[in-house]
This record gives sequence, C-alpha cells and structure tokens, in this order.
Amino acid sequence: MRTPLLTVEDLEVRFGTSRGLVYAVNGISFDIAPGETLGIVGESGCGKSVTSLALLGILARNGRVTGGTAMFGGRDLLKLKDEQLRLIRGREIAMIFQDPMTSLNPVLTIGKQLREPLQVHFGMDKSQADRRAVELLEQVGIPSAKQRLRDYPHQFSGGMRQRVMIAIALACEPKLLIADEPTTALDVTIQAQILELLKTLVSERDTALMLITHDLGVVAGMCERVNVMYAGMFMETGSAAALFSQPRHPYTLGLLQSVPRLDAGRRQKLMPIPGSPRNMLSPPGECPFAPRCRYEVEQSRQQVPPLEEIEPGHQVRCFNPVPADEWQRERLGGAA
Amino acid sequence: MSIAELESREIQLERPQGLWSEAWQRLRRNRGAIIGFGLVGTFVLVAIFAPLLAPYGPREQNLSLVREGCCPGPSADYWFGVDALGRDEFSRILYGARYSLLIGVVSVAVGLTFGLILGAVAGFFGGIIDGVIMRLMDIMLAIPGFLLAIGIVAMLGPGIWQIMIAVGVVNIPIFARLLRGAVLAQRENDFVLAARAVGVPRRTILGSHILPNSISPLIVQGTLALATAIIDVAGLGYLGLGPQDPATPEWGTMLTDTIRYLQTAPHLAIIPGIAIVLAVLGFNLIGDGLREALDPKLRGRA
Amino acid sequence: MSTNGNALVEVEDLKVYFPIKSGLVMDRHVGDVKAVDGVSLEIERGETLGLVGESGCGKSTVGRALLRLYDPTAGKIVFDGTDITHLGENQMRPLRRRMQMIFQDPYASLNPRHSIGRIVGEPLRVHGRGGKELGKTVRELLQTVGLPADAISRYPHEFSGGQRQRIGLARALALNPDFLVCDEPVSALDVSIQAQIVNLMERLQDDFDLTYLFIAHDLAVVRHISDRIAVMYLGQIMELSPADDLYDNPLHPYTISLLSAIPIPDPEVEKRRSSILLQGDLPSPANPPAACRFHTRCPYVQPTRCRDEEPLLRPLEGHLVKCHYAEDVKAGLITPRVREAVFEPGPQEPAYVPPVD
Repeated sequence: MRTPLLTVEDLEVRFGTSRGLVYAVNGISFDIAPGETLGIVGESGCGKSVTSLALLGILARNGRVTGGTAMFGGRDLLKLKDEQLRLIRGREIAMIFQDPMTSLNPVLTIGKQLREPLQVHFGMDKSQADRRAVELLEQVGIPSAKQRLRDYPHQFSGGMRQRVMIAIALACEPKLLIADEPTTALDVTIQAQILELLKTLVSERDTALMLITHDLGVVAGMCERVNVMYAGMFMETGSAAALFSQPRHPYTLGLLQSVPRLDAGRRQKLMPIPGSPRNMLSPPGECPFAPRCRYEVEQSRQQVPPLEEIEPGHQVRCFNPVPADEWQRERLGGAA
Repeated sequence: MSIAELESREIQLERPQGLWSEAWQRLRRNRGAIIGFGLVGTFVLVAIFAPLLAPYGPREQNLSLVREGCCPGPSADYWFGVDALGRDEFSRILYGARYSLLIGVVSVAVGLTFGLILGAVAGFFGGIIDGVIMRLMDIMLAIPGFLLAIGIVAMLGPGIWQIMIAVGVVNIPIFARLLRGAVLAQRENDFVLAARAVGVPRRTILGSHILPNSISPLIVQGTLALATAIIDVAGLGYLGLGPQDPATPEWGTMLTDTIRYLQTAPHLAIIPGIAIVLAVLGFNLIGDGLREALDPKLRGRA
Repeated sequence: MSTNGNALVEVEDLKVYFPIKSGLVMDRHVGDVKAVDGVSLEIERGETLGLVGESGCGKSTVGRALLRLYDPTAGKIVFDGTDITHLGENQMRPLRRRMQMIFQDPYASLNPRHSIGRIVGEPLRVHGRGGKELGKTVRELLQTVGLPADAISRYPHEFSGGQRQRIGLARALALNPDFLVCDEPVSALDVSIQAQIVNLMERLQDDFDLTYLFIAHDLAVVRHISDRIAVMYLGQIMELSPADDLYDNPLHPYTISLLSAIPIPDPEVEKRRSSILLQGDLPSPANPPAACRFHTRCPYVQPTRCRDEEPLLRPLEGHLVKCHYAEDVKAGLITPRVREAVFEPGPQEPAYVPPVD
C-alpha cells in the first residue's frame, strides 16, 4: 500500500448566490495513491466538479472552501496562497476539462499553448519547448505533429482537441491528473479512443488519475476505486469490482437499476429513481437521499448517516444499507 | 409517493415569477442603475414640472442686469446666473430639459420603429431581402452618425423637428442590425422549430416567439441611444442647425456663442454642459444596468 | 423487412443536402453538406423505430425532414398514404396534427417567455381547439405526463430538465398525434431522470397508440425502447435490424465497432471485452468517402470493391446490411485490423443555413 499522494479530509465548499448559500460540498474525504485511478461518479449538481476546482484553488469568485484539508506533498492545498498554488498547477497536478471546444484558447496556436507550461515550469526556451511539444503530440497520437504546432484550435476536431488537452496536461509530468468529464462531449467511438489513450498514458507514467464523470460505464472500464457522490457527500466508496457487483447504498443500486445496459435482456425493466436531485440551498440535516429512497427508515429523516466501513475497503453512508446480494439477484432475475 | 407529488412539492417552494420580474429584481440591486434612475427621474420630473419649478419664464429678459457687460454669475436671485440677454439660466435649464426629453424620445422612437421592422424582416425572411436591407444599412453606417445627421438636416432644412428626424434616421441601422442578429439567433432555437412542427403560421412565430425573445438587446440599446441622441441634438443645436429661434431654451442652442464669454462668464458654457452630461450619464447607467439584468446567462436555474 | 402494408411512414431514397456558400460579396454555392444521402425506411403503425449514429450521421436531419421542417433535396416521404414531400405550408398544416416532435435540449425547446399553459395550449389554439375546454385539456395533459396542474401559470425556468421534457411531451401530445419523432429526448438529462422519461414514453405509447421514431446516440437506451433499429453513418443507413438481434448479432462492421466502443457498467465485463477501436475522426459530411462510406475506417476493409463500389442495403439473416463482405465478417473469415488514423483537417461546421420551411 503506497503512501497516498493526496489526502482530502472533510472538504466543505459553499457558494454565495442571490438565492442564498449553496452547500455544494458537505464533508468529503478521500485519498489517491500514486499511479492509482479513482473515479468520482455522480449526476449533475452533486458537487464532483466543484471538488476538483476547490483543490486547485480555481473556484468561481462566489465559491469558498469553508472547511477541510487537502494534504499534497506535505502541504495543505486549501491553505496555500495563489502564487504557491500556481507552481503546483500544471506541474504536479494537472487538469483536463469537459468541453474541448472552449477549453483551448481560440486565438493562440496549439504550439503556444503546449509551450506555456513547459516554459513556465521548466524554464525551457522556445526551441526546447517546441521539441518537447512535438514529442507530446506524437505521444497522444496526432500525426504530422511538427506542422500542427502552428495550427489553431478551430482547425482540430473535438477528439483531436481533447488529445491536445491531454498533451498539455501531461507536459510537465504531473503526479496527479484530474479529468473532469473528459469524454462526455465526444462521440462514442472517439470516446473509446480517448479513454484508451488516457489509460495507456497514465499507466506508462505512473500518474494518478482522478476521473470525474456521470457515466457508470466509463468508470467501470477505467477506475480501480470508485466514490459515488450525491448532494455534496460520498454515499458509497470502494473498489470498482465491489461497488458494481454488490452495491450497498440505495442510490448506487438505483443508478445501476436505471441505466439500460447493452448486455442485459432487452425487456430489462428500467427502475428510475423517483423525484429530482436535492435542492442544495440548505445544509443537509437528514440523509440527503431519503426523499427518493425506497429503503429509508425513520433514522434517515433525523440525521445524516455517517460514512462507515461495511466490509474492508468498502464504505457506505446509510442507516439501512441494501443487502449484499440484492443487485445480483435482480440482475439475474430480470435478465430475460 | 408519486413523481407528480414529489415534484409539486419542489415547485411550491418558489412563487411563479416571469422572466421580466426576475430581471427587475436584479436591476433594483444594481447601484449604478439606481443612481441612473435617480438622475433620469430627476430629469423627467424637471421636464414635466418646469413651469412650476422655474422662478422666471425662459424667455423673460431683464436687460438691466447685463448693462455693464456680460454676465452676472450665480446669485441669490438667479441661481445659475444670467445669460447675455438677461435671461435666467436656471429657468432656461429647467425648460431645456423638456426639449432634450422630447427630442431624445422622438428620435429614438423613430429609429427603433423603423429599425425593428427592417431588422425583423431581414432576419426572418433571409435571402435576397436580407441582403438588400443589410447592404442599405451598411451604407448608412459607413457615414459617421453626426455627419449623416448634418447631411439630413441640410436636406430638410434646420429646425427642431428636422433634427429629431435626422437623429432618428441615424439610429435606424443600429437597431436594424441589432434586431436582425437577435432574430437570426432565435430562429434556430428548438422552440421555434417546435412551433413550426405544430403548424403555427410564420407571422405568428415571428410575433409571438421570436420578437419577444429578441427585444432585450434593443431595450439596452434604446436607453443608450437616448443618451447619444441628447448629445447629437445638442451638437446640432450648437452648430445652429436646431431650433432657429435663438430664444429657445434648448441646451445645445444655449451653448452657441458662449465661447466668446468663456473668460468673463464661464457659467454660461459650463452649466448647460453639466446638464447634458448628467442626463447622458443617467441613461448610460440605466442602460448598463439593464444589460446586466437582462443577460440570458443569468436567467433561472443553471 | 416489409411491413405488410401497415406502414405509417414510408421514406424512399431521401436526400437532404445543405448548400455551402462562400464568397466575398455575394455567396456562391461551392458544395453541399450531404446530411442525408439516400435513406429508405418504413415505420409500421405502433412500432418504435430507433435511429442511432454519431455526429454527422444525419439522424436528426432525417427526423426533421420527416416533419417537413427541412425541405428534402430528393426522394419521397409518404405519411399514411399521402405524399408529403412537396406540400406547401397550408397543405401541411392539417397533417401536422398527426405528426409531432420532441426535442433534445430541455432548455431551448420551450419559449422562456411563455407560461406552461400557453406552451401546451398553443397546438390546440392553432388548430382551432382553443375554447372553453382549453384549460381543462391542458390540465389533463399535464397530469398525464406527471406534472401538477398548477404548473400552468409557471414559466419554464422554474422547472428542471426532466420536468421540461415532460412539458415538451405534453405539448406534443396535445393534438393526439399518431406519430412522434423523438430527437434525442433523454440525452441531456441526468441518468436517474432518463429512466423516468423513457418509462413515461413507453407508457404513453401504450395509452395513446403512438408510433415513435426514436433518435439517439446512446445505443443502450435505443435498444431498450425500440422494436427495430437503424444504424446510420454519414447520411446513410448501414444496418437495419430487429432490436433484439442487434446486440447479439451485429452484421455491419460499423455496428460491430460501435457496440464494442460503448462502455458497460460492469468492471468484469469491461475487462473481458475485446474492443475494436476505430481510428481517426468521423469524416465530414461535406466530403464523405466515395463508394462505401465506412471504408476509410473499417477494420475489415478489403482491397476489392470497398473503395470503388457502393454497397447495396441488402437482406442478410433478417437484417438489412450495407456491406459487401458482411457474410465473411460474420463467418470470421476476415480478421479486423487497426487502421491508420486519419484526422480531419478542418472545422466540422461549414457555413450553411438550413432553409426556413
């Protein structure tokens, strides 16, 4: 068990809006070991993107970290000043974003955007940086790399831009790569290429990968460990194998039940989760999933359940967790 | 619990609120806009109640005051001083607000009406109609606004209505372009397609779906155009192209010839200038506040 | 795959091209985006035909062309026996009562300045059914899709994505149509809400006797709701098959590649899968490959015929497949190769404007 690269404890993030305080993240803790792939899965509004932005200190102006620590390399990221964080961003922790159309600066050439982190963090001059940039583009599978340095983002397709973003992110060989919905905006066949590329690159470089997504299939194929997030809290954490075969939290079970699968029988019944995601304008005083939960008990309405270990390496935040074999029984029973 | 019940519980948490009232809330919180409203409000009240507020008539002359030469500055009897013909500056400023208000509103109304029609037609029908209208607008825009206004007044002859029309015409291409852009953007929206799929006739789509969603930029531009109109009209008045009766208490006309008196009676130039600046500032602040309040990105839930 | 004369919608060799105009002063016609390039299909009364494909395949264009929201460049569209290909707006209007559409983007498909009551009531008013019964009908419609009656006086921005899709469904159902084109109705929704809407749509289909054309890029969702599925690539149908069979027995190389690219929420399955990775970008519909559209990326491409002869959409094992070598692929006689990646040089969107009606 390698010592964790990043240890986050009790992170809390709030946003001030005209409608009141939004409690975006309400006490999450996790760690990532070097070379490990951690998936944070949840639907829109659950706070997963906010988490990564908070770690790098790039929250929107009305957002603030109101609690918790994030230890990285012996220092608390949340307490560092911007000048100190700038040395870490791109160099030790890099990030790639969802929308390849807007994540690259349209008025700068690809070469300039690739050179930037190299020049800022390694002090390379233009020709050194260019050589390295060509290497990087080749590693992400872009042909005619040398000529491509002079192109602008609009001359690349979506899939290619995402490759460029990955190249920029990996330019300084960061220890941790955060990928926020990296393939959501891409076509399925392009998504498969990009995921394959990411997988290869991070394993070659022993880079830790924090993959944030709403797509359960992507997580299943890419991540060793998975944390399921809802209403700013982790509902269930554990290895991907455990979570997908024996989900114990009603929300995880609900997600798996409501997603149509290609390998299930066609008459598989889709069981939607009733209701809508929780309104985040108040701090949670009860289990945030209780209003939509089939398994709720009285205690669920009185306090927020603590995140507890139900099996080694597998934690659940629930007063009435789902029986271990529930999902398998349903799957096998329902497959027609 | 059924889905309908769950969802109705959530909806009841918020009162029904149209987009306009939401925008109004945002506007009310904007300090710049409040100052703007204050300035413009004062301006409008002054214009309406000028006869009640002004201590003297705007054309009342008291030549005895200027016998020794121009011109007595501010005093207890004459708050803003007296002009070259013995008229009370303060009263003339108050009455002048009427002209500026009238001129601003009429010219913008002219520009807005024609601009809206041309822009909507060009944007909605596209093709050759669009091409012809827009090229015409381009030609008008190629000439600097003020010069174009002078040109139109040269054609029509000087006078207060003529400068109103001139300034109005100068505004037409600006509004036309703006509305055309907004219409083009709205045309591709799914709800427009949905209306077509339902079989809504084209003119109803334009009037009931596209236009209401396109007018926000026009409202902003309208307030800013009011500001510019006041300046343009004052400029034309200063050049002597405005109301030909020099006794007219129009702010721009009041500035004509005051260069001669800059050493002895600077208040004659400064005071109308300040009045113009404050009126224009007020409209600009409101316009900026409106732009922010009507920004579609801030609407409703993200 | 004949439908025994029970077809509600018949499409014959439909082509929808959008002209590309470019020029300094006046725009000249320099080319076409061949969004739909020869699509033929039939939709039986009461069935759900799924239409899947990736960007640029033309599936949305097909849906909109069926409703005459775009003008077909060539081909024929027949709705319940009537040729609607060239009908004018006034002739189309009465037919529009029977064919409606729901849209992908829940935030753009409802006019933000109209109240829900006005939105759902509009179809009724346009077709002369607005009157004393209007309010009652609208309330009933809202109830049918699971929304409370007091939503009538509210505005779209007060509702979530899933709720807005329900409103869109209520609007589409207002005139009791026979045929509904569903253009990516759940793609923009959260996973847990998608299932709600899909289930609702299935129930509505039973209750109201609807025929669906279900357009989506998510094959898993499409497979769940559809009776038959057509897979499109660059403006043409590559394979048409009963939904049951598509996953178990994909015959076209594109279908095979597409299926293997879709991630499955099960780590064990993911580990065991052999995936066929398509290389490079999707070619632009402004400049599609000649002959077989898929030959530039096909892992099973052969030196003969693929590059010079356009394959026919022909019957094979109960499917329709547009491939010269489908039998050999099925029999395992061709091993898939990794092709060289061809990346498209320029931007994917040329400057065209779809014609207004």
